[in-house]
Amino acid sequence: MNKMNRRKFMQFAAASGAAFTAGAGVSGNALAGSIKLEEGGRDFSPKTGKERKAIPTACWQCVTRDAAIGYVEDGRVVKLEGNPNSIRTLGKLCARGQAGVNQVYFPDRILYPMQRVGKRGEHKWKRISWDEALDTIASKLKPLRDAGTPELFMYQYGRHKASQAATMYDFMAAYGTKTIGNHTSVCEAAKWVGQESLWGGMYDNWDYDNTDFVVNFGSNQFETHTNHIPTAQRLIRAMVDRGVPLYTFDVRLSNTAAKSTRWLPIKPGTDGLVALAMVNVIMNENLYKRDHFKFMRVTEDYHASVDDKIAAVKAQVAEFTPELAEKESTVPADAIREIARGFAKANSACLVSYRGAVMHYHGADSERAMMLLAAVTNNLDRPGGRVMGVGAGWKHPKSKPAKVHKALHINDGFPGEAAYPTHHVSHRVFDMIKDGNEGRPQVYWWSCYNPAYINGNNSEVTEIFKDEKLMPFLITSNIVYDETSSLADIILPDVTYLERWDWEDMVSGNQIAEYYIRQPLVKPLGEARCQGDVWPELAKRLGFELAWSDKEDFVRQSCEMTPGVREAGGFEYMKKHGVWHDPNDKGNYGFYEASVDVGGDGVILDEKTGVYWNWKKSGASSAADAKAKGYLGTEGAKSGYVAQNIDGKAYLAYPPNTKFTKSGLLDFYSDNFIAKGLPAFPTYTPVPEHQKMGSDDMIMTTYKTAVHTHSRTAHCKWLVEMKHDNPAWINTVTAEARGIKNGDKIKVKSDVGEFATTAYVTEGIIPGVIAVSHSLGRKYSGVYASGKSSPIDGGASPDPDAKNIWWKTHGTHPNVAIPNWSDPISGTQRWMDTVVRVSKA
Amino acid sequence: MSAVAMKDEQAGKVEMATARSQAYGLLASVFRAEPSREFIDELRGPRFAGALASLDVDLGRDFEIASAEALREDLGIEFTRLFMGPGEHISPHESIFVEVDGEAGGLYGAITVKVKKFIETTGLVYDDAFTGLPDHVSVELEFMGRLSEFEAEKWADGDDEGARYCLSVQKMFAEEHLLRWIPQFCEQVIARADLPFYREMARITNEFVDFDYESIEKSLA
Repeated sequence: MNKMNRRKFMQFAAASGAAFTAGAGVSGNALAGSIKLEEGGRDFSPKTGKERKAIPTACWQCVTRDAAIGYVEDGRVVKLEGNPNSIRTLGKLCARGQAGVNQVYFPDRILYPMQRVGKRGEHKWKRISWDEALDTIASKLKPLRDAGTPELFMYQYGRHKASQAATMYDFMAAYGTKTIGNHTSVCEAAKWVGQESLWGGMYDNWDYDNTDFVVNFGSNQFETHTNHIPTAQRLIRAMVDRGVPLYTFDVRLSNTAAKSTRWLPIKPGTDGLVALAMVNVIMNENLYKRDHFKFMRVTEDYHASVDDKIAAVKAQVAEFTPELAEKESTVPADAIREIARGFAKANSACLVSYRGAVMHYHGADSERAMMLLAAVTNNLDRPGGRVMGVGAGWKHPKSKPAKVHKALHINDGFPGEAAYPTHHVSHRVFDMIKDGNEGRPQVYWWSCYNPAYINGNNSEVTEIFKDEKLMPFLITSNIVYDETSSLADIILPDVTYLERWDWEDMVSGNQIAEYYIRQPLVKPLGEARCQGDVWPELAKRLGFELAWSDKEDFVRQSCEMTPGVREAGGFEYMKKHGVWHDPNDKGNYGFYEASVDVGGDGVILDEKTGVYWNWKKSGASSAADAKAKGYLGTEGAKSGYVAQNIDGKAYLAYPPNTKFTKSGLLDFYSDNFIAKGLPAFPTYTPVPEHQKMGSDDMIMTTYKTAVHTHSRTAHCKWLVEMKHDNPAWINTVTAEARGIKNGDKIKVKSDVGEFATTAYVTEGIIPGVIAVSHSLGRKYSGVYASGKSSPIDGGASPDPDAKNIWWKTHGTHPNVAIPNWSDPISGTQRWMDTVVRVSKA
Repeated sequence: MSAVAMKDEQAGKVEMATARSQAYGLLASVFRAEPSREFIDELRGPRFAGALASLDVDLGRDFEIASAEALREDLGIEFTRLFMGPGEHISPHESIFVEVDGEAGGLYGAITVKVKKFIETTGLVYDDAFTGLPDHVSVELEFMGRLSEFEAEKWADGDDEGARYCLSVQKMFAEEHLLRWIPQFCEQVIARADLPFYREMARITNEFVDFDYESIEKSLA
C-alpha cells in the first residue's frame, strides 16, 4: 500500500485546489456562514444540555390513529405517548404506536427520489432530483389527460384516511381519474357490505362504557383491532370494574380469548351459524325484545305487524338449532344456549364481530346474522349495544374537478365475481390487469401499500408487476424498499407520519366525535416529501391548480372551515392542543328514532315500502311519474329518501345512504340479495371447499399480534425484538396424528403454494386448523425486517443497534399459500378459508 | 530564527493548511453527490492524473476512455447503489457506524446531534439547500476543510495562537468523530464498490484522514 506522505499529499491537494478553482466541485456546500472561533470564548462541549419539546400529533401505525404527544429532543423524535386530552384514547398509546420513532430512523429508509436503471427487480437505481422525477411523471400523465383518457392513470393506496385521502382524492378529481384502488377487500369489506345492506352506511362501534354483556366473534380486540386503543381499554374496564362478561368465539386462544370470561373454540366459517343458533334460542324461549322489530323487515311485506315479524324470524331460524350449530362449529349446544340467554336477558349487550367471522365465503351474510342477533335483542344503536361509530366531520377545501372524469372498471373484480363490491375487490386488481379485458392503466402509482407481500398468492402479483407490457409505468411513494416498491420505475421518498400534517377523524369509543390533527415533529429527513405537498406541484406541471398549496395549508383551511373547531380557535388551537370535541355533545344514540318532518316540497309517501321520499331529488320527471314507478322503481330514488313511515309516524330510521337501494327498515329480508340470487334472509352457507376436505386436510387461518400491523411494522426494531417469529399454531391431537412435535419443521401446502415453518403444538387452537400470523417473513424491508444486511439485498448497512439482534428467526409469510379469491357477496378476500396439507418437513 | 526563516515557516504553514483544506474539499465533493460532468473532466485532466498516479491510484481504463456522459451515468448509478440504496447500500452517516453507550443509534441518532452541535458552535450553519443529514460523511470532511481554511487565514494574519487553537479544534473533531468511523466506512466502500473510482477514493480518503491527523498532532507538538 502506497501510504500518503507530505510530497504526495501536497500534489494531491494542489490538484484538488485546482479542481475547485475550475469550479468543478460540488454545486453547493453543506455548510454556510463563517467560522468564529475565539479561544476560550466558546464552549465546545457537546454536553450543552438538551431541550425537549412536546408536540401534539397523531399515530399512524395502524388505522386506529390515536391522538399522541411526540417528544422532540435536539431535533430528534425520542418518545411518543398518548395525548391525555383525547377522549378517544384517554392518553394511551399501544406498543406499535410507541415504536413509531423507529419509522423515522431505521437505516434503510428511502430518502431521495430514485429511478430504475436496470430491469424490474434487478435492484439497479439512480438517484434523481425531485424536479426530474416530477417532470418525468408529468410527461407520462399529461398526454393521458390531454387525450381524454385520464382513467389510464391508476392510483392505489393501502392506508390512506382523513386528509391524506382527501388531498389525494382532490388531486385525482382535478386530474380526472376515478381509477383509484384501495385495500378494503383484504381488510374487512364483508363486514361493511353486510351492514350496509341493513342499516346503510353506519358502521358499528361497541358501547362498552354502558354495556352489561359482550359476545365476540373473531375479533382480537385486546391485541389488534381497527379501533384498538379506544375499544380495548373500555372493554377491559367494563370487565374489571363492573364484572361485564365477555364470551369470545375464535379458532385460537388469542390474548383476547385468554382474557375472556370464556373462550369458545369454533371451526372457521361457522360464526354466522352460531349467531343464528343464538337467535333460534332467543326466539324459541321468547327472550327477544319487541322494541326493534318495528324497524326490521323480515319478510317480503314491508307493513307486517311486530307479531308477524316475530313469527317470521322464528320460522326463518328454526332450522338453525344449537345442535346443528354444534355439529358444524364444534361449539357445545349448551354453551350456545347459555350465552344466548345471557345476551338476551342483559339490559344491554354488545355483539362484536370482525375478521375471524367475516373474511370467509359468504362472510357478508355472517355479518347480517350478527346484526340479526343484535336487533332481536334491541341492542342496535342503543346505549350499551352495537352502536353506530361516530368520527369527526371535517370540512375541507375542494379544487375544481376535471371536465373529463372516468374510471377503468378493474376495481370490482371480474364480472359476476362479487354481487355487491361496495368497498371494491382491490386484491383482484392485478388479475384484472393481467386479463386486460377491462383495460390496463398506463401509469400505476401506489402508496402505503405492498400488494406483492400482502395479497393472497402474492408471487403471482410479483410476476405481474415485473411485466412491463402489463404495467408499463410504475410509481410508488414509499419510505421503505419492500417487496413491491422494489419493482417500481420511480420511487418517491415519502415522509413518515411523524413528519407530516393531517387532520384526523377515526371513530370514537364513547359516541362523541373527536377532531384531532397530526403535525410534524421534525423536518422530513433527506429529500422526503409528503404526498400532500407533491400533488399541488404536480398539478402545476399538468396545467391546473389545486385549492390549497400544500398539506399544511389544506389542514389550516380545514380547521378554519370546520364548525366547532373554527370557533374553538381553528388551526392555532389545534396546533397547541391537538384534539377538540364538543363539550356539549351527549353522544350519538337512537339515530333511527328521530322524528322527521315530511311536509317538504316534493315529499311523497311510497305505499309499498312506507318510504317518504322527495321525488324532486330523485331524478324522476314528475310527481305522477314518481308515483307510477314507485320508490323502488325509480332510479336514484334513494337519494331522495326522507323518512320511514312506521305505524303512521315518520322516523328517520335507517336511510339507504350506500349503494344499496332499500327502505328505511333494517333489510333482513333483502330484495337486493334476492336480485343477485343470494339468500334473502341471513342463513348459513358452508364454505364449499370445506365440504370437500380429505381426511388429511386442514384449514389455515391468519391473525395479527399485539405488536405488528400486516405490513408496515416489520422494520420497527423495537417491535421485531418483541415479535420476530410466527410458528404455526397446531392442536396437540392434530399434530400427533401427523407425527409433529412442538418445534418441528413443517411444510404447509395448498393448491396455490407452500411454505415451511415450525410447529407450535398447543391446546390453544381448535383441532384441524392451523393458524399463522401474517406480519413477518419479509423478503426485503431492511435488516430488522428481513434479518439480511448488506451486501445481501434488502438492507442498508445496519446501525450499531443491529449487533444487539439476539434472535435468529424472522418468521414466514403464509400468504404465498392463500388463494387470491373473493366472497361472492362482498368481494372480500377469503383469508380464513384456505385448505392446506400439513406435514413434517 | 531569522525574520526570513520565520516568514518562510509562516508561509509553509499557510500553504499546508490551505492544501489540507483543498484536499478535504475535494473528498467532500466526491462523497457529497454524483459527479458532475465538469468534475469528471477535471478529474481526468492532466494535473489530477499526475497526482493520482503518484498515489498509485488506478481508476481503470474506462475512466480514461469512456465518454464523459457515459461515465457520469455509471458513476451516478454506482453512487446511488453504494450510498443511497434503495436496498443494499452503505448509509454514509456517522450515527450508523458509531455507537454511543446508552444513546440511540441509527439514522439521525444521538451522535448526529453531537456532530451538528459541534459544527454549529463554530458559527457555521447548515445550508438550507443541503438535503442530507448533519453527520453525512461529506459534511464532516467539508467541516474539516473549513476549519483548515480558517486556520490558514490565522497563520496568514500572524495569529499563531488562533491558528493553533483552530488546529486543536480540528484535532478534537477528528478524535471525537472523523477517526471513529472513516476507516470502517472506507473499508466498506472498498469492499463493495464495483467501479474503481469510489474504491480508490475511499482508499485515498482513509489514507488522507490518517495522514492528516498525524500532521495536526505534529503541528500542535
